[in-house]
Amino acid sequence: MATKKIEIVVPPRPAHFVGDGFRVHNFISSSYRLDMERMDPFILMDYNSKFYFPPSETPKGVGVHPHRGFETVTIAYQGKVAHHDSSGGGGIIGEGDVQWMTAASGVLHKEYHEENFSKKGGDFQMVQLWVNLPAKDKMSKPKYQGIKNQDINKYQLAENSGEIEVIAGEYKGIKGSASTFTPLHLQNALLKEGGSADFSFPESYNTALLVLEGNVSVNGEPVSTDHFVLFENQGTEFNIQTEKGAKVLILSGEPIGESIAAQGPFVMNTREEIKQAINDFNQGKFGYLE
Amino acid sequence: MEKISFATYLQEKIDLDEKTIKKLYQKLTSEKHLKNEVLLKPGEVCSHAFFVEKGLLRLFSIDEKGKEHILQFAPEGWFIVDRSSMYFKETSQYYIDAIEDTSMVYINDQFLDFAGQKSPEFRKYNERLLHNHIRHLQNRINSLIAASAREKYQDFIALYPDLTLRVPQWMIASFLGITPESLSRVRRNLAKENFRPR
Repeated sequence: MATKKIEIVVPPRPAHFVGDGFRVHNFISSSYRLDMERMDPFILMDYNSKFYFPPSETPKGVGVHPHRGFETVTIAYQGKVAHHDSSGGGGIIGEGDVQWMTAASGVLHKEYHEENFSKKGGDFQMVQLWVNLPAKDKMSKPKYQGIKNQDINKYQLAENSGEIEVIAGEYKGIKGSASTFTPLHLQNALLKEGGSADFSFPESYNTALLVLEGNVSVNGEPVSTDHFVLFENQGTEFNIQTEKGAKVLILSGEPIGESIAAQGPFVMNTREEIKQAINDFNQGKFGYLE
Repeated sequence: MEKISFATYLQEKIDLDEKTIKKLYQKLTSEKHLKNEVLLKPGEVCSHAFFVEKGLLRLFSIDEKGKEHILQFAPEGWFIVDRSSMYFKETSQYYIDAIEDTSMVYINDQFLDFAGQKSPEFRKYNERLLHNHIRHLQNRINSLIAASAREKYQDFIALYPDLTLRVPQWMIASFLGITPESLSRVRRNLAKENFRPR
């Protein structure tokens, strides 16, 4: 079994605000070597590293905006997010929960800090990942998979050294809780003191990880908190270890391999489709939301 | 939006060769301004026009009640200028600021003279640009005095298709000379007619 080596360790870029509620470091696709083509099928990753929001009567967040052509995956590690869409859907993403939203043909929504969290204030930490859809599914019906933490399938590591939350894909026979359009793996490794976990993904997949808590060594190389690791395609196996405990998000997906045309909240295959999306949005075809 | 470099713009619109463009570029400066930076304010004389390569600028006034009135947006590939200031050296009554981080090319009188001398094609194109601008103003006057809120909105999205994704609603309402409530009504009615949840 060949080791999958680190291609590059990417430190977090300076944070910027999305709306007034999400203070994020963008990794995919604006960081060096993390462009959409290289990271295919992962086309965006915004990381709200742990950040304290003071109490606020008016929930902070990001106002009404559309999406088309992909899925948004929101993982709330700390804090809670409420969302509403133009079809009347809505819900709360609690701590440890995952919302897998298939925007596909179009969703108009807004995302805010959940009311009680906003009033109390507190540490907020989350990841938003955009997963591309193949051309044949881009205009399919929008849907949500709201996955509560207790419903995420988990693999217990040997010697009580931690667990792997299998959000999507598979880890050592444990299937992921979310269904996906193309083959991909998304997992949280929750490692206790001295914990260690081995991973194996095909060479054809694009594979990366993000250290959310603690310091780890990946194949023996140290990686600090809030740093992102892109792996080479060559090789299949890698190992994560920690001395004092750590939380790591692991992602690996089969590239879709189609052309990408992206503008703002729309990711399609051609410029023409982007123009169509903008026109549909302007003409109210995504619905209306205050 | 993709970046539109001024050199590419000149090549595509006027078919200028690289050598001529290189010469013209000697008289140009490029600058980057961050979101919210003010490039012109009332009382100043602005001696240049801006060509937006990447980002978004706006030209606006503020009335005595403090309300903003937006005359023009300039996304990628647009020029923006206070003509009374640049061409008549009057002190400006307008603001120009950056709505997004913006890369732009500064264009002044000397450049226009120089470019006109070096290239008759440029002179001809610049004249056409002036007429195009007047055509826009003509349509805008007609829209402001004669069109319904819905027609104004339809004109807006035809002129600036992607700005609905880049600027807040109140700025669009300000540009159209309608209230934000009126704009909301227009968009809500359009959604009622066109939204077919699947």
